[in-house]
Amino acid sequence: MTNTDFTEWLRGLADDRLRALVTTRPELITPVPAHLEGLVIRATSPSAAGRALDRLDRFALAVVETFLVLTEQDGAGLPYKDLRKAVARSVRSGEAGRLDGALREAVDHLRTMALLYGPDTALRLAPGVREVSEAPAGLGPPAIEAFRHHPPERLQELIRAVHRGKDGQGEVAAERLAGLLAEGGVVGRLLDDVGPQARAALDELAWGPPAGRLPNARREVSVATAQSPIEQLLARGLLAATGEDSVVLPREVGLALRGGRIHRDLRPEAPALDGAGREQGLADRTAAGQAFSFVRMAEELCERWSVDPPGTLRAGGLSVRDMKKTVQLLDAPEWITALVVEVAHAAGLVASSAPADGEWLPTTAYDGWRVKATEDRWEALAAAWLAGDRVPGLAGERDDRDRLLNVLHPELRRPAAAEVRLRTLRVVASAGQGLAPSAGSVRERLAFEQPRRRGTYRDQLVDFTLREAEQLGFTGLGVMSVFGRELLPASSPEPAKPPRSPSSRSRAVAPATPAQLLAPLLPEPVDHVVLQADLTAVAPGPLTSELGRWLTLAADVESKGGATVYRFGEGSIRRALDAGSSADDLITMLEKHSTTPLPQPLRYLVTDVARRHGRIRVGTASAYVRCDDPSVLDEVMADKRAVALRLRRLAPTVVASRSTRAAVVDSLRAIGYSPVAESSDGDVLVTRSDARRTERPSSARPSLGPAGPDPDLVAAAIRAVRAGDEAHQARRKPVAAPDGQVPRSPSTSTVLALQEAIRQGARVWIGYLDSQGHATSRILEPARMEGGYLTAYDETRAAVHRFALHRITGVADVG
Amino acid sequence: MSDGPLIVQSDKTLLLEVEHERADECRKAIAPFAELERAPEHVHTYRVTPLALWNARAAGHDAEQVVDALIEFSRYPVPHALLVDIAETMSRYGRLRLEKSEDHGLTLTSTDKAVLEEVLRARKIQPMLGERLGEDSVVVHPSERGNIKQALLKLGWPAEDLAGYVDGEYHEITLTEDDWTLRSYQREAADAFWHGGSGVVVLPCGAGKTIVGAAAMAHAQATTLILVTNTVSAHQWKQELLKRTSLTEDEIGEYTGTKKEIRPVTIATYQVMTTRRQGVYRHLELFDARDWGLVIYDEVHLLPAPIFRMTADLQARRRVGLTATLVREDGREGDVFSLIGPKRYDAPWKEMENQGWIAPADCVEVRVTLTDQERLAYAMAEAEDRYRFCATTPSKTRVTETLVRRHAGEQVLVIGQYIDQLDELAEHLDAPVIKGETRVKERERLYQAFREKEIQVLVVSKVANFSIDLPEASVAIQVSGTFGSRQEEAQRLGRVLRPKADGGGARFYSVVSRDTVDQDFAAHRQRFLAEQGYAYQIIDADDVLASE
Repeated sequence: MTNTDFTEWLRGLADDRLRALVTTRPELITPVPAHLEGLVIRATSPSAAGRALDRLDRFALAVVETFLVLTEQDGAGLPYKDLRKAVARSVRSGEAGRLDGALREAVDHLRTMALLYGPDTALRLAPGVREVSEAPAGLGPPAIEAFRHHPPERLQELIRAVHRGKDGQGEVAAERLAGLLAEGGVVGRLLDDVGPQARAALDELAWGPPAGRLPNARREVSVATAQSPIEQLLARGLLAATGEDSVVLPREVGLALRGGRIHRDLRPEAPALDGAGREQGLADRTAAGQAFSFVRMAEELCERWSVDPPGTLRAGGLSVRDMKKTVQLLDAPEWITALVVEVAHAAGLVASSAPADGEWLPTTAYDGWRVKATEDRWEALAAAWLAGDRVPGLAGERDDRDRLLNVLHPELRRPAAAEVRLRTLRVVASAGQGLAPSAGSVRERLAFEQPRRRGTYRDQLVDFTLREAEQLGFTGLGVMSVFGRELLPASSPEPAKPPRSPSSRSRAVAPATPAQLLAPLLPEPVDHVVLQADLTAVAPGPLTSELGRWLTLAADVESKGGATVYRFGEGSIRRALDAGSSADDLITMLEKHSTTPLPQPLRYLVTDVARRHGRIRVGTASAYVRCDDPSVLDEVMADKRAVALRLRRLAPTVVASRSTRAAVVDSLRAIGYSPVAESSDGDVLVTRSDARRTERPSSARPSLGPAGPDPDLVAAAIRAVRAGDEAHQARRKPVAAPDGQVPRSPSTSTVLALQEAIRQGARVWIGYLDSQGHATSRILEPARMEGGYLTAYDETRAAVHRFALHRITGVADVG
Repeated sequence: MSDGPLIVQSDKTLLLEVEHERADECRKAIAPFAELERAPEHVHTYRVTPLALWNARAAGHDAEQVVDALIEFSRYPVPHALLVDIAETMSRYGRLRLEKSEDHGLTLTSTDKAVLEEVLRARKIQPMLGERLGEDSVVVHPSERGNIKQALLKLGWPAEDLAGYVDGEYHEITLTEDDWTLRSYQREAADAFWHGGSGVVVLPCGAGKTIVGAAAMAHAQATTLILVTNTVSAHQWKQELLKRTSLTEDEIGEYTGTKKEIRPVTIATYQVMTTRRQGVYRHLELFDARDWGLVIYDEVHLLPAPIFRMTADLQARRRVGLTATLVREDGREGDVFSLIGPKRYDAPWKEMENQGWIAPADCVEVRVTLTDQERLAYAMAEAEDRYRFCATTPSKTRVTETLVRRHAGEQVLVIGQYIDQLDELAEHLDAPVIKGETRVKERERLYQAFREKEIQVLVVSKVANFSIDLPEASVAIQVSGTFGSRQEEAQRLGRVLRPKADGGGARFYSVVSRDTVDQDFAAHRQRFLAEQGYAYQIIDADDVLASE
């Protein structure tokens, strides 16, 4: 197997095709390879090939699998028309009409991804793909592999069985057997020989998985001695033993059983979504209602945590007890509470004040967020949820080591979360106006789009996404809302997109931002409440924030939702009085904001509580001075020398002091007397403690967003690869170098390029192996070069660094 | 944004703006599946509970109607999760059915195999079941018909009881509507019960529940067992039945502490039914004494636990429960649902009042300020004596006297908890007192005298709370209560809510000591009354005394 053809094909591609390649497979340029051969090595590596296959939809994958089955080696070319013939056989009846367009598109796409190459007359599979494709289309290994490790005598016996007694001496037995099985009609003939039970067993394996378990699989049976149905199969080579207790269906047999089709019911196009129809307007309003209540919950959470922050567990996260408290606070089920907490965290509204034994506090960013309009606040939360790799739905489950995963636990993440989330929402959005796709059809669509990624693991993420999207208001009644749709990033840049197209263009033509779309759907804030004789106040909508905060102080919230029900009680009125209001203030405020007359019982309640409020006063004093003769105390109070004691006359015969008893006694003695107090200034203290804040952590990991790499980066990377490749090509030429000239060192072109950059003061892109040998890429402003080192300003790290020249793998202009 | 009268809260309460033009329409739409929890002047609160939803299912409403009603009238979008939850809860009712099969007797049948499997595996259910009849059906021991319904409700899978009823022994009963007629809501209530099979009729005190009972009997045309709270109530039932139906004196038996008559229509008290000797309920045989065709439970919210257990064995007989409120202080609403039956009829107090069936009531709280000495004594009282102390202060007596004088010429009831206080009041007011030790004969004589306006002031203890009929009381003064019980409040209010001959309004005073636990209890009471929609006013005792 050689990669040369593939390398040459890649080298021959136009730059825009290369750009398209690395745009669809961004991992090929992270970091930027030094040259084209480096790119090939990376592209054909198992991990990269696997990731490329992961990106294929079921139809494109089926095309690759068909290719794998039809050609046994990568070098072999396959004409497009043969491929089409094979795929056409697999397509489910009734959908053949759409085959040609879909196949053409799929092949082009596979070429773009460099999984197929070569002209239509001889399409070839890229190296590396075969190695990562186990059991393509659920077919077993070819007979030659399946029987490779059988002992020669056993093979001879099988050949005799297949070949009806004729001897197969003289050939390599396994190849001979494989050849026989591949012959047209042979398998059919063998199948006719075995009983219906054996046939049924084969049918079980026919459409995969092709392997089965069987005790004592390597038993020696012949057609004559075969007892059970399975033995009949083993005796005829229709099943091959692959181990002591496992068997496999050889590919040739499988294909024969499938009647020449490689896939069953292949769909050229994605399955349609089905689900309930809803009125889009209603869905939007419902989603807006959810968006509103989600924002409110986040605010409520932060407000509470401002004054009563929960601790950070040593392992990170929130303790179960604190979680329970939060559940109570938000009055929401546990998973919704977890979602609110996680989203507030992802949006940078709450953070831990210290990695261990710290507290979860709102950040300074929260203060900025809090004063924004509801729609903007929602956008911030929704965007954070969309892009995060944390999975709130996993909270409460256990990890591999059976440790409880708490909310905010560092391990509560899945690398694929953001991608699955976005894909899921795109599918929901693609359902069109007013259709709420069922969870099943969403999963089915995703299974079509990314068949290699399917599994319970992804289905779980999909389910989380759907229910969380509903909570956040991305969807309403299961339908994508207008504003939610707008928040989804545009799908990956088209491969054919010219470089340097202004990436903001798509945004510029957008009619409105998500927040602008959301704003008119939100309920209007109201500035009044309805007061009732049962001592409740009903706010028939969201309150303006000032009134809302005041009511939360003066009354207890009894019920939340579209409206808020507040209940006044002795405790709540006292709380308001404690915070510095007077009875008159309270009544004025209530009258001002009530649409109905103040009910008499409420007025009574306020005046009653106020009447008793503060009748008994409590203060702090360190010492007191008592004297039965008020006139003596008058003297003390009048004495300027006693001012330092900060004396306070509580009653004609009592004075309190904040100084210690000893100090008071000493001072009074010094003046010629003897010692007392309420609080420092005699006022009642406002008990509300100050809200606290922590710093927002430095921004989270830079990751390739689901939208794919920036076109500018791609273009620069391709230039770097090209430049490196030229250098690499040049390096091969020294043999032909003219005599007498000093051979260029391998990195001469690199050095030259860097010198040029230093002269021009230009920025360059380099590939660099760091001290651990990891390949990285940097954008530099080279300053000088000496002693085998380059000194440059590293833009990616925002610092001046020295780089060893021998570790620089390639250079390109950033332009 | 739609402009509906309803706001749906995330805790499943519904807020209805009463002044909204579509409020009436909305009330009708949500009443079947939401319990009215509070009805103060502007915004009424309904609560959607599983029981309320199942009541709605039992009345033939489906989830779609419920969801439509919410969406149609809601001002703000209804959370999807809530709608899903409602649909899910409602679908639980009727998945399991109790049926009567020709071959196997009582069977539990399900259309949903998984549900049947789930309940079959419940440990509490297993002993009640017999042979499995295929995938979707299982035999139930006939004696467990009530118990299994109770247990299934607890599991969240309430069973629909379609096993039918025995007809009972035929006995002719007709209403004699000569000088009176059945009110429209009474007819509707009786019809609703009859079509539903068994169940509870919720009507306010004074709305004529006895007559609904009589109408139910006329439907059943069968021997009837009536269970009431006490002897006085039993007498009154008897009087009413004689007046309203074709039944004669000989056909109605009383089964009480003193008499043990068993006749085609028998009225028994809860007390006698729950009397035990040596751990055995002595009077259980009454349930089997005749082939009863109908069992009437008066004041279902007071039904004692042993009666529930007995009722569990009576599931083949038609049952009707009569009550003013489904709220039980012990929280056994679920047992009422499964053993007596779902709610069949409900009319809000306020509406009945608007239609003139019950008198409007003015509720006034009179706040008495304790004298300094009383306050000192109150502060020093032991915790358990405190309520008694502040509820019976002499200051209250003075205010009560003033109030009685103010309403001279009207029929006045003074209601209290503590006998000493009542005796003292009776002495001051020169009025007779009815308390626990008063003989039944004497009670009835006094009631009659009060009814005929021979006496105008009557002092009563809590024995008068239940089922007495004082049609002409227009003023009630409550001087002490049982720690602010909501249910007691409903009863006491009922005392004065009966329609008056002159159509005048009723007045309900509570005399409360300021700044004491009495006031805390009064706050509960006040909340209850305000929630029921009564105008509630607070006045100072000093103002009352000054007006003299």
